[in-house]
Amino acid sequence: MTRKITAIAAAAILFAGFAVATEGTRWINVNVSEHAEGTNVEVHLPLNLVMSVLRSVDVDNFHRGQIDLDIDDTDVDWAEIFAAVKEAPDGQFVTVDSHDAKVNVSKQGGTLFINVDEIDGDNAKVKVTVPVEFMDAMSINESSQIDVAALLESFDRLPSGDLVTVESDDANVRVWIE
Amino acid sequence: MRERGISTIGGILLAGLAGILTAVAITDWAVVDIQIVDPDPMHIKVPFPLFIANVASSFVPQEALDETEVPPELAANKELILAAVTSLLEAPDSALVKVNAPDAHVEVSKIGDNLLVAVDADDATVRCTVPLDGVLYALEQWDWKTFDPDLIFDTLGKADNGPLVTVDVDDGTKVAVNLW
Repeated sequence: MTRKITAIAAAAILFAGFAVATEGTRWINVNVSEHAEGTNVEVHLPLNLVMSVLRSVDVDNFHRGQIDLDIDDTDVDWAEIFAAVKEAPDGQFVTVDSHDAKVNVSKQGGTLFINVDEIDGDNAKVKVTVPVEFMDAMSINESSQIDVAALLESFDRLPSGDLVTVESDDANVRVWIE
Repeated sequence: MRERGISTIGGILLAGLAGILTAVAITDWAVVDIQIVDPDPMHIKVPFPLFIANVASSFVPQEALDETEVPPELAANKELILAAVTSLLEAPDSALVKVNAPDAHVEVSKIGDNLLVAVDADDATVRCTVPLDGVLYALEQWDWKTFDPDLIFDTLGKADNGPLVTVDVDDGTKVAVNLW
Protein backbone atom coordinates (compact mmCIF):
# COMPACT_ATOMS: atom_id res chain seq x y z
CA MET A 1 0.00 0.00 0.00
CA THR A 2 2.81 2.38 0.98
CA ARG A 3 4.62 1.50 -2.22
CA LYS A 4 1.52 2.30 -4.27
CA ILE A 5 1.10 5.68 -2.57
CA THR A 6 4.81 6.44 -3.13
CA ALA A 7 4.48 5.57 -6.82
CA ILE A 8 1.38 7.75 -7.21
CA ALA A 9 3.10 10.62 -5.37
CA ALA A 10 6.21 10.28 -7.57
CA ALA A 11 4.05 10.27 -10.70
CA ALA A 12 2.14 13.33 -9.46
CA ILE A 13 5.40 15.21 -8.75
CA LEU A 14 6.76 14.27 -12.18
CA PHE A 15 3.54 15.38 -13.87
CA ALA A 16 3.47 18.63 -11.90
CA GLY A 17 7.08 19.34 -12.90
CA PHE A 18 6.22 18.78 -16.54
CA ALA A 19 3.12 20.92 -16.29
CA VAL A 20 5.10 23.79 -14.73
CA ALA A 21 7.81 23.50 -17.38
CA THR A 22 5.20 23.58 -20.15
CA GLU A 23 3.37 26.48 -18.55
CA GLY A 24 6.61 28.46 -18.30
CA THR A 25 7.33 28.17 -21.99
CA ARG A 26 6.50 31.28 -24.01
CA TRP A 27 5.34 30.75 -27.55
CA ILE A 28 5.52 33.02 -30.55
CA ASN A 29 2.60 32.50 -32.89
CA VAL A 30 2.22 33.68 -36.43
CA ASN A 31 -0.93 33.19 -38.46
CA VAL A 32 -1.15 34.13 -42.12
CA SER A 33 -4.41 33.74 -44.01
CA GLU A 34 -4.12 34.37 -47.69
CA HIS A 35 -7.44 35.21 -49.31
CA ALA A 36 -6.94 34.48 -53.02
CA GLU A 37 -6.09 30.78 -52.69
CA GLY A 38 -7.45 30.22 -49.22
CA THR A 39 -4.09 29.20 -47.79
CA ASN A 40 -3.67 29.39 -44.04
CA VAL A 41 -0.30 29.10 -42.31
CA GLU A 42 0.07 28.75 -38.57
CA VAL A 43 3.46 28.82 -36.89
CA HIS A 44 3.74 28.09 -33.20
CA LEU A 45 7.33 28.18 -31.94
CA PRO A 46 8.80 28.19 -28.46
CA LEU A 47 10.63 31.44 -27.74
CA ASN A 48 13.74 29.48 -26.66
CA LEU A 49 13.99 27.90 -30.09
CA VAL A 50 13.71 31.25 -31.86
CA MET A 51 16.31 32.76 -29.51
CA SER A 52 18.76 29.90 -30.05
CA VAL A 53 18.47 30.22 -33.80
CA LEU A 54 18.76 34.02 -33.72
CA ARG A 55 21.88 33.91 -31.58
CA SER A 56 23.51 31.45 -33.97
CA VAL A 57 22.87 33.28 -37.22
CA ASP A 58 25.77 35.36 -38.50
CA VAL A 59 25.17 36.53 -42.04
CA ASP A 60 25.56 39.77 -44.01
CA ASN A 61 23.41 42.18 -42.03
CA PHE A 62 22.44 39.95 -39.16
CA HIS A 63 25.02 39.16 -36.51
CA ARG A 64 23.89 36.89 -33.71
CA GLY A 65 20.69 38.79 -33.02
CA GLN A 66 21.96 42.23 -34.07
CA ILE A 67 20.66 43.75 -37.28
CA ASP A 68 22.68 46.41 -39.11
CA LEU A 69 20.53 49.46 -39.75
CA ASP A 70 21.31 51.74 -42.65
CA ILE A 71 21.27 54.90 -40.55
CA ASP A 72 24.99 55.66 -40.38
CA ASP A 73 24.67 59.27 -41.42
CA THR A 74 22.12 60.27 -38.85
CA ASP A 75 23.02 61.34 -35.37
CA VAL A 76 20.11 60.20 -33.30
CA ASP A 77 20.15 59.38 -29.64
CA TRP A 78 17.91 56.37 -29.78
CA ALA A 79 18.17 55.59 -26.10
CA GLU A 80 16.89 59.07 -25.30
CA ILE A 81 13.99 58.71 -27.74
CA PHE A 82 12.97 55.31 -26.36
CA ALA A 83 13.23 56.65 -22.81
CA ALA A 84 11.12 59.67 -23.73
CA VAL A 85 8.43 57.49 -25.29
CA LYS A 86 8.46 55.24 -22.26
CA GLU A 87 8.21 58.13 -19.82
CA ALA A 88 5.58 60.01 -21.81
CA PRO A 89 2.11 60.05 -20.27
CA ASP A 90 -0.77 58.22 -21.86
CA GLY A 91 -2.40 60.06 -24.72
CA GLN A 92 -2.66 60.62 -28.43
CA PHE A 93 0.84 61.22 -29.85
CA VAL A 94 0.50 61.31 -33.61
CA THR A 95 -2.48 61.56 -35.92
CA VAL A 96 -1.95 61.66 -39.67
CA ASP A 97 -4.93 61.90 -41.96
CA SER A 98 -3.87 61.80 -45.59
CA HIS A 99 -5.27 60.57 -48.89
CA ASP A 100 -3.12 57.42 -48.67
CA ALA A 101 -3.52 56.43 -45.07
CA LYS A 102 -4.58 57.28 -41.58
CA VAL A 103 -1.90 56.87 -38.95
CA ASN A 104 -2.54 56.95 -35.27
CA VAL A 105 0.05 56.59 -32.50
CA SER A 106 -1.19 56.57 -28.95
CA LYS A 107 -0.21 55.35 -25.53
CA GLN A 108 -2.58 53.71 -23.09
CA GLY A 109 -1.65 52.09 -19.80
CA GLY A 110 2.04 52.29 -20.70
CA THR A 111 1.52 50.43 -23.96
CA LEU A 112 2.18 52.12 -27.28
CA PHE A 113 -0.37 51.49 -30.03
CA ILE A 114 0.41 52.20 -33.67
CA ASN A 115 -2.51 51.96 -36.08
CA VAL A 116 -2.18 52.46 -39.80
CA ASP A 117 -5.22 52.32 -42.08
CA GLU A 118 -4.20 52.30 -45.71
CA ILE A 119 -6.77 53.94 -47.96
CA ASP A 120 -5.36 53.04 -51.36
CA GLY A 121 -3.72 49.82 -52.46
CA ASP A 122 -4.51 46.73 -50.39
CA ASN A 123 -6.60 48.65 -47.85
CA ALA A 124 -4.34 47.27 -45.19
CA LYS A 125 -5.15 47.87 -41.57
CA VAL A 126 -2.04 47.47 -39.45
CA LYS A 127 -2.12 47.42 -35.67
CA VAL A 128 1.12 47.24 -33.73
CA THR A 129 1.22 46.91 -29.98
CA VAL A 130 4.45 47.90 -28.24
CA PRO A 131 4.36 46.98 -24.54
CA VAL A 132 6.58 48.86 -22.12
CA GLU A 133 8.84 45.82 -21.69
CA PHE A 134 9.51 45.99 -25.39
CA MET A 135 10.58 49.64 -25.14
CA ASP A 136 12.93 48.76 -22.27
CA ALA A 137 14.63 46.20 -24.48
CA MET A 138 14.82 48.42 -27.56
CA SER A 139 18.39 49.50 -28.09
CA ILE A 140 20.49 50.65 -31.01
CA ASN A 141 24.24 50.68 -30.43
CA GLU A 142 26.98 52.99 -31.76
CA SER A 143 27.37 50.79 -34.83
CA SER A 144 23.71 51.38 -35.71
CA GLN A 145 22.75 47.83 -34.88
CA ILE A 146 19.38 47.03 -33.35
CA ASP A 147 19.45 44.22 -30.85
CA VAL A 148 16.60 42.00 -32.04
CA ALA A 149 17.66 39.19 -29.71
CA ALA A 150 17.17 41.50 -26.72
CA LEU A 151 13.77 42.48 -28.09
CA LEU A 152 12.75 38.87 -28.39
CA GLU A 153 14.10 38.16 -24.94
CA SER A 154 11.71 40.80 -23.65
CA PHE A 155 8.86 38.68 -25.06
CA ASP A 156 9.50 36.43 -22.10
CA ARG A 157 8.24 39.21 -19.82
CA LEU A 158 5.33 40.31 -22.00
CA PRO A 159 1.75 39.52 -21.12
CA SER A 160 0.04 37.23 -23.60
CA GLY A 161 -1.58 39.09 -26.45
CA ASP A 162 -1.39 40.42 -29.99
CA LEU A 163 1.78 42.19 -31.11
CA VAL A 164 0.99 42.81 -34.76
CA THR A 165 -2.16 42.35 -36.80
CA VAL A 166 -2.51 43.16 -40.48
CA GLU A 167 -5.79 42.93 -42.33
CA SER A 168 -5.65 43.57 -46.03
CA ASP A 169 -7.38 42.59 -49.24
CA ASP A 170 -4.64 40.01 -49.92
CA ALA A 171 -4.11 38.46 -46.55
CA ASN A 172 -4.50 38.70 -42.83
CA VAL A 173 -1.49 38.36 -40.57
CA ARG A 174 -1.47 38.01 -36.83
CA VAL A 175 1.59 37.77 -34.58
CA TRP A 176 1.00 37.15 -30.92
CA ILE A 177 2.69 35.81 -27.85
CA GLU A 178 1.33 33.42 -25.28
CA MET B 1 26.01 -48.35 -25.30
CA ARG B 2 25.63 -44.95 -26.90
CA GLU B 3 25.22 -42.10 -24.43
CA ARG B 4 22.18 -39.89 -24.72
CA GLY B 5 22.80 -36.15 -25.06
CA ILE B 6 23.88 -33.51 -27.48
CA SER B 7 26.75 -34.28 -29.80
CA THR B 8 29.56 -31.76 -30.24
CA ILE B 9 28.39 -30.77 -33.71
CA GLY B 10 24.80 -30.50 -32.53
CA GLY B 11 25.94 -28.35 -29.66
CA ILE B 12 27.85 -26.04 -31.98
CA LEU B 13 24.85 -25.79 -34.32
CA LEU B 14 22.48 -25.05 -31.46
CA ALA B 15 24.86 -22.45 -30.02
CA GLY B 16 25.18 -20.88 -33.45
CA LEU B 17 21.42 -20.84 -33.93
CA ALA B 18 20.94 -19.36 -30.48
CA GLY B 19 23.56 -16.73 -31.28
CA ILE B 20 21.87 -15.82 -34.53
CA LEU B 21 18.45 -15.65 -32.88
CA THR B 22 19.86 -13.49 -30.09
CA ALA B 23 21.57 -11.21 -32.61
CA VAL B 24 18.32 -10.93 -34.57
CA ALA B 25 16.38 -10.20 -31.40
CA ILE B 26 18.68 -7.46 -30.11
CA THR B 27 19.51 -5.87 -33.46
CA ASP B 28 17.54 -2.99 -34.87
CA TRP B 29 15.98 -3.88 -38.19
CA ALA B 30 14.70 -1.67 -40.92
CA VAL B 31 12.02 -2.96 -43.25
CA VAL B 32 11.47 -1.28 -46.56
CA ASP B 33 8.08 -2.15 -48.02
CA ILE B 34 7.17 -1.00 -51.52
CA GLN B 35 3.90 -1.77 -53.28
CA ILE B 36 3.36 -0.67 -56.85
CA VAL B 37 0.00 -1.18 -58.48
CA ASP B 38 0.41 0.14 -62.02
CA PRO B 39 1.59 -0.61 -64.62
CA ASP B 40 3.38 -3.71 -63.35
CA PRO B 41 2.05 -4.62 -59.92
CA MET B 42 4.70 -5.74 -57.50
CA HIS B 43 5.36 -5.92 -53.80
CA ILE B 44 8.89 -5.71 -52.48
CA LYS B 45 9.69 -6.15 -48.81
CA VAL B 46 13.33 -5.85 -47.78
CA PRO B 47 14.18 -6.38 -44.12
CA PHE B 48 17.78 -5.69 -43.17
CA PRO B 49 19.60 -5.33 -39.88
CA LEU B 50 20.92 -1.81 -39.42
CA PHE B 51 24.34 -2.94 -38.26
CA ILE B 52 24.87 -4.85 -41.52
CA ALA B 53 23.94 -1.77 -43.52
CA ASN B 54 26.31 0.21 -41.36
CA VAL B 55 29.13 -2.29 -41.90
CA ALA B 56 28.37 -2.41 -45.63
CA SER B 57 28.60 1.36 -45.85
CA SER B 58 32.14 1.22 -44.53
CA PHE B 59 33.13 -0.53 -47.77
CA VAL B 60 32.09 2.46 -49.86
CA PRO B 61 35.34 3.71 -51.45
CA GLN B 62 36.64 6.92 -49.90
CA GLU B 63 36.98 8.45 -53.38
CA ALA B 64 33.24 8.06 -53.91
CA LEU B 65 32.51 9.80 -50.61
CA ASP B 66 34.98 12.57 -51.42
CA GLU B 67 32.86 13.39 -54.45
CA THR B 68 29.84 14.00 -52.24
CA GLU B 69 31.30 17.18 -50.83
CA VAL B 70 28.60 19.27 -49.15
CA PRO B 71 28.31 23.02 -49.85
CA PRO B 72 30.52 25.07 -47.51
CA GLU B 73 27.46 27.16 -46.58
CA LEU B 74 26.14 24.14 -44.73
CA ALA B 75 29.25 23.78 -42.59
CA ALA B 76 29.21 27.54 -42.00
CA ASN B 77 25.78 27.10 -40.40
CA LYS B 78 26.76 24.10 -38.30
CA GLU B 79 26.36 26.00 -35.03
CA LEU B 80 22.95 27.30 -36.08
CA ILE B 81 21.70 23.90 -37.13
CA LEU B 82 22.94 22.21 -33.95
CA ALA B 83 21.40 24.98 -31.82
CA ALA B 84 18.08 24.65 -33.62
CA VAL B 85 17.94 20.87 -33.23
CA THR B 86 18.96 21.10 -29.57
CA SER B 87 16.28 23.71 -28.89
CA LEU B 88 13.68 21.64 -30.70
CA LEU B 89 14.59 18.64 -28.56
CA GLU B 90 14.16 20.70 -25.41
CA ALA B 91 10.91 22.31 -26.57
CA PRO B 92 7.60 21.08 -25.16
CA ASP B 93 5.49 18.87 -27.36
CA SER B 94 3.33 20.87 -29.74
CA ALA B 95 2.22 21.42 -33.31
CA LEU B 96 4.86 23.81 -34.64
CA VAL B 97 3.69 24.56 -38.15
CA LYS B 98 0.36 24.02 -39.88
CA VAL B 99 -0.30 24.87 -43.49
CA ASN B 100 -3.80 24.53 -44.89
CA ALA B 101 -3.86 25.06 -48.63
CA PRO B 102 -6.66 24.09 -51.01
CA ASP B 103 -4.63 21.15 -52.32
CA ALA B 104 -2.68 20.10 -49.26
CA HIS B 105 -2.53 20.09 -45.50
CA VAL B 106 0.91 20.04 -43.87
CA GLU B 107 1.56 19.71 -40.17
CA VAL B 108 4.91 19.59 -38.39
CA SER B 109 4.73 18.59 -34.75
CA LYS B 110 7.19 17.79 -32.05
CA ILE B 111 6.22 14.78 -29.97
CA GLY B 112 8.77 13.46 -27.48
CA ASP B 113 12.16 13.23 -29.16
CA ASN B 114 10.59 13.09 -32.62
CA LEU B 115 9.60 15.61 -35.23
CA LEU B 116 6.53 14.37 -37.06
CA VAL B 117 5.79 15.60 -40.54
CA ALA B 118 2.35 14.89 -41.98
CA VAL B 119 1.41 15.86 -45.50
CA ASP B 120 -2.10 15.22 -46.80
CA ALA B 121 -2.15 16.28 -50.41
CA ASP B 122 -4.77 15.61 -53.05
CA ASP B 123 -2.67 12.89 -54.64
CA ALA B 124 -0.58 11.55 -51.77
CA THR B 125 -0.33 11.14 -48.05
CA VAL B 126 3.06 11.23 -46.38
CA ARG B 127 3.97 10.60 -42.77
CA CYS B 128 7.54 10.98 -41.62
CA THR B 129 9.08 10.60 -38.18
CA VAL B 130 12.42 12.31 -37.66
CA PRO B 131 14.23 11.21 -34.49
CA LEU B 132 15.66 14.54 -33.30
CA ASP B 133 18.01 12.95 -30.78
CA GLY B 134 19.38 10.73 -33.54
CA VAL B 135 19.75 13.69 -35.89
CA LEU B 136 21.58 15.67 -33.21
CA TYR B 137 23.89 12.75 -32.42
CA ALA B 138 24.60 12.16 -36.11
CA LEU B 139 25.29 15.84 -36.79
CA GLU B 140 27.61 16.06 -33.80
CA GLN B 141 29.60 13.09 -35.10
CA TRP B 142 29.70 14.32 -38.69
CA ASP B 143 32.68 16.14 -40.20
CA TRP B 144 30.39 18.49 -42.20
CA LYS B 145 32.60 18.10 -45.25
CA THR B 146 31.36 15.13 -47.26
CA PHE B 147 28.19 13.08 -47.11
CA ASP B 148 28.67 10.21 -44.71
CA PRO B 149 26.30 7.19 -44.74
CA ASP B 150 26.84 6.98 -40.99
CA LEU B 151 24.63 10.07 -40.74
CA ILE B 152 21.69 7.89 -41.67
CA PHE B 153 22.61 4.97 -39.47
CA ASP B 154 23.48 7.14 -36.47
CA THR B 155 20.08 8.81 -36.86
CA LEU B 156 18.20 5.54 -37.28
CA GLY B 157 20.10 4.02 -34.36
CA LYS B 158 18.32 6.43 -32.00
CA ALA B 159 14.90 6.11 -33.64
CA ASP B 160 12.00 4.45 -31.85
CA ASN B 161 10.66 1.23 -33.29
CA GLY B 162 7.70 1.80 -35.57
CA PRO B 163 6.92 3.54 -38.83
CA LEU B 164 9.62 5.94 -40.00
CA VAL B 165 8.23 6.93 -43.36
CA THR B 166 4.96 6.04 -45.06
CA VAL B 167 3.88 7.28 -48.45
CA ASP B 168 0.47 6.49 -49.92
CA VAL B 169 -0.03 7.70 -53.45
CA ASP B 170 -3.52 7.81 -54.91
CA ASP B 171 -2.48 5.50 -57.76
CA GLY B 172 -2.13 2.74 -55.17
CA THR B 173 1.62 2.98 -54.72
CA LYS B 174 2.66 2.56 -51.10
CA VAL B 175 6.10 2.96 -49.61
CA ALA B 176 6.85 2.28 -45.98
CA VAL B 177 10.04 2.20 -43.95
CA ASN B 178 9.58 0.68 -40.52
CA LEU B 179 12.00 0.05 -37.72
CA TRP B 180 11.72 -2.82 -35.31
